[in-house]
Amino acid sequence: MAAAGERVAGAAPAGYTALAVKFGARQRSPHYLLVKEHQVREGADTAHPPRRTLFVLNVPPYCSPDALSGLFARCGRVQSVDICDKPGTGEKKEKLTSKFFNRKTVTGFQVAYVVFRKRAGVQAAKALSQEGPLLISTESHPVKTGISKWIASYAASVVDREELKAEVDAYMQDYDKKIAEEEAKAAKEEGVPDEEGWVKVTRKGRKPGLPRTEAANLRVLEREKQKKARKELLNFYAWQHRETKREHIAQLRKKFEEDKQRIALMRAQRKFRPY
Amino acid sequence: MPREIFQDKDNLNQRYHRKRALYLAHIAQHFSKEKLFGSVKFAYMNSNHLKPILLLRPQGKDEKMVTVRLHACPAPGLFKPIRFYPSKNNVRTAWFMEQSTPKEGATEPPTPHYNNSILCDTVLLSHLQFLSSAATDFPGMKDGLALLKVWLNQRQLSKGLGSFSGFLASMLVAYLLMKRKIVKMMSGYQVLRSTLQFLATTDLSVTGISLVKDADASLPVLDDFHQAFEVVFVDPSGLVNLCADMTASKYHQVQFEAKRSMEILDDRMVDGFQVLLMTAKPMLRAFDHVFHLKHVSKLQGACKKMQLLNELMDRGGNYVAAALPFIVSLLARGLAGRALLVAHSLPEIPEWPIDAEPPKHKDVGPLMFGLLFVPEFAASLLEKGPQADHPEALDFRTFWGEKSELRRFQDGSICEAVVWEADTVYQKRLIPEQIVKHLLKLHADIPESSICYMGALLESVIRTGQEVSGTGEEAMVSVVCSYDDLSRKLWNLKGLPLTVTAVQGVHPALRYTDVFPPIPMKPIYSSYNRIRTKHLLLPLEEKPCPAYIAPLKIVCHMEGSGQWPQDKGAIKRIKAAFHLQLAELLQQQHQLVCRPAVTHTDVYKDGYVFRLQVAYHRETLILKEVVTPEGMLKYQDTEESRQLELETLHLPYLTSSLHGLQQQHPVFGSTCRLAKRWVSAQLLSNNISEECVDLLVAFLFLHPAPFTPPSSPQVGFLRFLDLLATFDWKNNPLIVNLNAGLTDADCTEIKNRFVAARSRLPVMFIATPKDQWSSMWTQEQPSAQILQRLLMLASESLRAVEEQLMDPLNSQDVKMVFRPPLEFYDVLIHLNPTQIPRHLESVDRPLKSFSRGVVKNSTSVKILFPVVDYDPVQCYLQELRDAFSDLALFFYDKHGGEVIAVLWKPLSFQPQPFKVSSMKGRMVTTLNSELVCVPNVEAILEDFEVLGEGLVKSVEARTEKWTI
Repeated sequence: MAAAGERVAGAAPAGYTALAVKFGARQRSPHYLLVKEHQVREGADTAHPPRRTLFVLNVPPYCSPDALSGLFARCGRVQSVDICDKPGTGEKKEKLTSKFFNRKTVTGFQVAYVVFRKRAGVQAAKALSQEGPLLISTESHPVKTGISKWIASYAASVVDREELKAEVDAYMQDYDKKIAEEEAKAAKEEGVPDEEGWVKVTRKGRKPGLPRTEAANLRVLEREKQKKARKELLNFYAWQHRETKREHIAQLRKKFEEDKQRIALMRAQRKFRPY
Repeated sequence: MPREIFQDKDNLNQRYHRKRALYLAHIAQHFSKEKLFGSVKFAYMNSNHLKPILLLRPQGKDEKMVTVRLHACPAPGLFKPIRFYPSKNNVRTAWFMEQSTPKEGATEPPTPHYNNSILCDTVLLSHLQFLSSAATDFPGMKDGLALLKVWLNQRQLSKGLGSFSGFLASMLVAYLLMKRKIVKMMSGYQVLRSTLQFLATTDLSVTGISLVKDADASLPVLDDFHQAFEVVFVDPSGLVNLCADMTASKYHQVQFEAKRSMEILDDRMVDGFQVLLMTAKPMLRAFDHVFHLKHVSKLQGACKKMQLLNELMDRGGNYVAAALPFIVSLLARGLAGRALLVAHSLPEIPEWPIDAEPPKHKDVGPLMFGLLFVPEFAASLLEKGPQADHPEALDFRTFWGEKSELRRFQDGSICEAVVWEADTVYQKRLIPEQIVKHLLKLHADIPESSICYMGALLESVIRTGQEVSGTGEEAMVSVVCSYDDLSRKLWNLKGLPLTVTAVQGVHPALRYTDVFPPIPMKPIYSSYNRIRTKHLLLPLEEKPCPAYIAPLKIVCHMEGSGQWPQDKGAIKRIKAAFHLQLAELLQQQHQLVCRPAVTHTDVYKDGYVFRLQVAYHRETLILKEVVTPEGMLKYQDTEESRQLELETLHLPYLTSSLHGLQQQHPVFGSTCRLAKRWVSAQLLSNNISEECVDLLVAFLFLHPAPFTPPSSPQVGFLRFLDLLATFDWKNNPLIVNLNAGLTDADCTEIKNRFVAARSRLPVMFIATPKDQWSSMWTQEQPSAQILQRLLMLASESLRAVEEQLMDPLNSQDVKMVFRPPLEFYDVLIHLNPTQIPRHLESVDRPLKSFSRGVVKNSTSVKILFPVVDYDPVQCYLQELRDAFSDLALFFYDKHGGEVIAVLWKPLSFQPQPFKVSSMKGRMVTTLNSELVCVPNVEAILEDFEVLGEGLVKSVEARTEKWTI
């Protein structure tokens, strides 16, 4: 399977530095983090400022942001650690406001952006490759895995009723306000032409227009087609007659071909072995 | 045979048969020296031990192709036919008993079978001429007979003693031709149809038929034959009964098959050719229960007990043939009402080389019996007899022996009755076993030890809990009762802003197909971490993992209203608010302990935990909404909407359809459970959806042709394996016509569209009335490789289990097919049994069990909420799959498996060039002075241990299969 032979542990492609990390002292084989200075092609990345940000590949699943910042703390003060499952565009996703909804936890092997306070931190981190493997879970900062982690996450899955209720109520109030505002705005614009003189027709007004949905569109088209079909004369001219006949024969031919194929298939798969 | 070798009175006392055998032996000896023949062997004609024949096979490669069967027959006119009438005696009692002087005054009993066997030889030639005259100018006869012979052979009716042989079929066609039921213009198909029609409607054991053209007054009449034989079909000479050796039961089986086949031919939904002529019906798969008579020699005792001396004489001492009709009719009487059909296998004696001893009667091997049940009555506890003062009461008492007792019934009558003991559905299914064993012991002196009853051997793998007597049907019923009560409470809940319009169950237990139905539980507080402020319990790290409590999912549809927001985020919030309120109201109005969450509310009721999920019917539409740049509103399926539709629309529908199927076929649920248990035992439960297996089993019940719907889980399971192994998934859709919602035209349409779009459809395509084009339950799984593996495992399992069920003499370990082969995998992760919550469900029940912090109890009301849906193994598997899904596949038996089997994906082990997006779990190394990425296997193996801290006992890397 995998190529055995001579291997250089901790090799790294151009631009990257490989850092060996282990979960704890007991483990023998390290994983290799690939780190490099974060580079932005265009525009300014506010969340991950260049020069101060370290881009980390291949972060093991048990390595949380806290553990990662603990790892790099020795290279300088860490400002923030951002873990995602794919190298992002750098655009910071909107901050998750809710404690209960749209929560997505990243699992598996991830990539991380470590932002240092000072530029020196990045260089110091690269230099770590000279030292022995880094440890993720230490006695002072143990990382929970296995049973203890699952029990903790089970406990965390229990929601507090009051808190949830308060959050839902707040959200719904906001939502209602937003809807009411939109409606008020729509009511104000009702029947009022804009600067070019166009009037917006909505379902609410005195003359409701057709809803602009695909289904309604299709219905209209269908009705038009029927109307047309009623007016059309079929097999009236000689060429029409010829055309239909030809089409009919073509249809039959096609069907015959299909049947032939099907029979060939059936014959091919026949396994007639009664004895 | 030349006339000279016979003497007077050669018709008596088997002299003819012995001379005939000697004659054949003489010829055989000559032929054996000839170079022309590859082999010269003896065999019995139709396994009748009085009639040996010689089998000649040519030398060379044709040896397997051609066999010449040499029959010996006397010169015509050697015997006077009148001596062999069915009422005549030709075997003297004194000679048979080896007494020197005959008893004075005793009348000799008639020997019809003996007579018949001699007469057969005298008319062989005339039969040949008769048949060839019938077949002239009749091409359809040849085709029709070929079809008929295949039909008989697929049903195992055409070989052995008392078989419905091809010769008999030819004679029957000739008879129908004579009676003008068939004309010479007919095609082969019409011949087959007419013959089956005739068989289906005529009972030859009551009204025999005769090929005699013009009746001769001196010949015996049909009534004479009926007295002597069970089945009557007289040949053209008017002397020979062609069905002499056939038992009435065998004929009834033929008749039953013919009836069933006519129904299938008339049904336009099934492919008659495939089903009738291409599908084998071995007894194991055709009958609901089968049992073996281990040692046929026990039938000697039976003959003695039943006083069958005359029959023994008549059959030349063949005790199997003599006792069989009596045994079968005994069983048929005992099982009348319960069994549609009591059938037996045909004793078959193998051929033997001319220098070996001929086989003995006991060499026919174990005798097999098959029972086909009437599902309504098969499990009834009571056998009600006649009233005590009626004369039949005595007869009833002698038939049932001590089991029969007087009982007073509700209508005031006092009757003889037999009551069988059975508490659970599982035991009730085995009442026929009790009856068979009791009757055979009582009337035939056959001890229970020599009967090997194969009714419910496999069911041990779905037994629940500690009790041994049940297979969980009762538990299932009580779950459904509790669910019904809860749904009523939900309907009548006061104080909700919107009313509940429908409550639908989606958990497999609510359609009776959960492998291990939930059992009412109450937690023992001491094994948990108590959080009084939140009224709940948490698992403790140092204790064994708590027992797994499965939440029973229920969808609760809310009425539509203008009040619902039209935005997906807002709908989610409103649903959460509903969950909160449902919990509060249920607690207030019905004192049920609840635990609300964002997506559901868990309700503890009667010891079960129900998981309520609020649904709003427009939500799927709202999820699908897309506004195009032109401002047009379009509906497009998204992953989220598909998932929601599946959960709130299709799954409830499937659940209620299958619930209905269970009401029609009481063993549907158990069959499903066996099938799912097998799939999961083979570590594939994560690769094929549960609903898919349910549908496959539903197919067996809805489209059983050529069988009848299974009435025992075991036969259903065997047919499930057979379906998996033999169905041509590549070229055919599996159409499951739930609630008969598809017409003939629909099926054709589905097939045509399937063929046209095959490459775009899932490898396993299952169509139902509500899901004709998408096969939603097999869309993502199984993959082609997994299906291939599944089919292979199915055919191997079927072979293994049938082999065991067919062989009563060896000790059976039918659980073998529930133990997966592990040699195939690259890494095995052994788990720590204390942390496997479903450890007790494993196939081989563990000897040591752990206290899992629960007791069986359904009455407790005010408790701290138990730990629900917490299975560390599943959490672990989830993490493994998240982290390593592109490097390996993980297989696990979710019912208490102790090992996770890992298979590396060979493709991802190829060294690859460096790419930022595919660095997960790999490392960079130089290969031939090039930088490549390879999986960091040593570290990954250690990760397995790290991620499963506390759960993993050891990681066994099978490095002999691959190198790091």
